[in-house]
Amino acid sequence: MGKRPPITNRVRELREEHDKMSQAALGEAVGVTRHTIIAIEQGRYSPSLETAFRIARLFGVGVEDVFGWEGE
Amino acid sequence: MSFREKSAWVMGAIMLATGVFYAQLVAGAPQAPVIEPLIPYVLAVVVFSVVAQIGLAIASPKEANAPADEREKIVIDRAGHWSGMVMGVLAVAACATYVALPSGGMLFHHIIGALIVAQLAEYVFQIVLFRRPI
Repeated sequence: MGKRPPITNRVRELREEHDKMSQAALGEAVGVTRHTIIAIEQGRYSPSLETAFRIARLFGVGVEDVFGWEGE
Repeated sequence: MSFREKSAWVMGAIMLATGVFYAQLVAGAPQAPVIEPLIPYVLAVVVFSVVAQIGLAIASPKEANAPADEREKIVIDRAGHWSGMVMGVLAVAACATYVALPSGGMLFHHIIGALIVAQLAEYVFQIVLFRRPI
């Protein structure tokens, strides 16, 4: 319990580039809570594939432009 | 703190307080019929739980009505799984105690105690999982 997922993300950066969208607004747009967005941005949670695609489509970029793999 | 985490804190506190209340009732009259401590305990749990959930819902109506999202579902499922194991261990311990001290009334109280501890453990696990990486 407690190991960080080996996935980086640019969610916060992209969110601020899009009219400083709030975490709550992003959460509502992709179907998760604000606290889940916070956990994603802090690297404490890796979203499902569906949510990852929803986030990427919302920002108009590809999934790999939002999320990166830092594992081995 | 999310609505579900707040709920876990509040319900955990209620389960702890009412669990202690139940233990005190049983300790005060160990030979009494099992229904005697059970009724006030159940009433206390129901009343406090309903009041607490109403209060939480009034404070955050939108969050209270929203279904659990994907992360919350993982937390709830995992916490439930672990608390099930706690319940299993405690139930076996209660049965082992019965073998050593065959008192049906005490077995009943031990099983109720196991249910209380397992439910408290579930709330604790939820709180930990809401705050740690999953």
